[in-house]
Amino acid sequence: METVWGVLLLAGKWVLVGLVYLLLILLLRAVRNEMRVRMVAGSPAHAVSGRLRVVEPGGTPLRPGQVLPLANEVVLGARADRLGADDIVLPDNYVSARHTRLLWDGVSWWVEDLDSTNGTYVDGRRIEAGDRVALPEGGQLQVGGVVFELIP
Amino acid sequence: MLRIVTLFVLLAFPMTGAALALRLEEPIFPALWPSLVPALSIVASLWFLHLLLRGRRLQSEQLLLPAMGLLGAVGIVLIWRLRGNDGAMQQITRGWLPGLVVIAALVLYPHLLELLRRRWVPVASAIGLILLLATAFVGAPDEAGARLALRLGPLPPIQTSEVVKLALIIFLAWYIERVGEEAEGRARPVAGWLRLPDLRYFVPGLLFVAIAALALVRMSDFGAILIIGALFVGMLYAGFQPRIFLTIAAIGALLTLLLALVLVFVWEPPDVIRHRFIAFQDPWSQEPLVVNGVPSDITVAEGPGYQIQQALYAVGAGGLGGTGLGLGTPYFVPLAHSDFIFAAVVEELGGLVALALLALYGVLLLRLLRVAVLLPPGQKFERLLLVGITIHLFTQLFVMVGGTLNLLPLTGITVPFLSQGGIALVVNLTELGVAFALMQRLEPRS
Repeated sequence: METVWGVLLLAGKWVLVGLVYLLLILLLRAVRNEMRVRMVAGSPAHAVSGRLRVVEPGGTPLRPGQVLPLANEVVLGARADRLGADDIVLPDNYVSARHTRLLWDGVSWWVEDLDSTNGTYVDGRRIEAGDRVALPEGGQLQVGGVVFELIP
Repeated sequence: MLRIVTLFVLLAFPMTGAALALRLEEPIFPALWPSLVPALSIVASLWFLHLLLRGRRLQSEQLLLPAMGLLGAVGIVLIWRLRGNDGAMQQITRGWLPGLVVIAALVLYPHLLELLRRRWVPVASAIGLILLLATAFVGAPDEAGARLALRLGPLPPIQTSEVVKLALIIFLAWYIERVGEEAEGRARPVAGWLRLPDLRYFVPGLLFVAIAALALVRMSDFGAILIIGALFVGMLYAGFQPRIFLTIAAIGALLTLLLALVLVFVWEPPDVIRHRFIAFQDPWSQEPLVVNGVPSDITVAEGPGYQIQQALYAVGAGGLGGTGLGLGTPYFVPLAHSDFIFAAVVEELGGLVALALLALYGVLLLRLLRVAVLLPPGQKFERLLLVGITIHLFTQLFVMVGGTLNLLPLTGITVPFLSQGGIALVVNLTELGVAFALMQRLEPRS
């Protein structure tokens, strides 16, 4: 009886070793897969690259074709008093006080809707609140009645 | 991958129970049932956390959660084996449960971090420092006379030095974010390539570290001083341009050297530290221990050397394959359930598993740094927070594994996620909670 248990425990011990290594291998594989996908995003190319060109000025005093520079984190909204120095003020009737946030992660631009009333559209598709969507170069960003294009 | 952890837990606990019963020549089946209580609590809480994170559509938890879960499970198995149901349930209810609640709170309300950044940092750091000072002066002394814990009414004693480490990480992240760029902009060249910013920018940071270090010296908690020093240097390194950092580091090294010389030649090193160094060089040293300036009839080998000897014997007894759970003698090592748990891991689970666990720590720490790198550069506070957390976990692990294997002089801190510990474990889990919360900002959730 005792030898049976002894053999069982010995087998169990090596099963545990196997389980730990199985987990380690799976984790390392997951790390590798993820590295492959996001390798670019990890590179230190942090300099901001990109500007917004006005396509449709809406109710704002902007001119079509005008180009706006971007800091690495920019909020677009209607109320200057609720925005920072790097942010862009869009006094348009359909733009919320703080409407949209643009984020540069070192590689690409991300757009976030800040629970705006009229929503934010990237290439004609509305972003769900709380979501974060990539804005490709040449992509169109609609904030209220104002439309921009991302240029290098 | 969580399934593998589940399988591990469900196998390891009954195996340990059976092995213990076998050694006592008791019937095996009745001994199996009590082992299922901690096992099922671990499995239940891990799957709860998994569902919670999946509900937030967090993909990255695939890595952190199983790594954390396995380390925690190994820790609880060994604590259960060494200290019985009471010890294991204490670890679960005082460490893991509050820790998991904090993680859940941070994940469900990610704006807590934003609130912290905007308003609560000075408050949090002040609370940390006040608690620490209170402990240093009115804390409850333990058997060795060191004041490490603060008793507040009916609550279990709080190890305030653990809280202050977290407070320091938060404070430094906030502080470097606030003054970093301004200080860099106004930096003046010192010599050639090196540049030094106005020193008054460093006064608050240095003040925090100095107050904490003095309180910790009074508490003779040298492990915590080591961690605070590592955090300070590491976070400045991450936060400033290299040439400014190098200038600061050079000045800091000079000051430390001076201080060390003063300590050694003017004010002799405290006996506790000297004994630890002797025990590190030769755990079997026959030199007598000096207590209050008087040599006693106890030798280093019988004092601080003893736990290192036992840890080395335990590691030797384990070898590559280990003796098997419940079949070794890790209870010979003093504090095998907390500071020296790594010796128990090697003895009963074996060197192979111990190496794999170290690799799991590696995956976990790299993961945290990776989140820091992927966060947008604008979120400097959050990035520095993650860097500080990584440094904290790494230093804990490095110092304790090194100490257990007699590769480094010993200082008493806990091994993250493995050791028995209330507040220390809650702090480590809070740090992972911060990482989980910040990962939500990364996921292109679509």
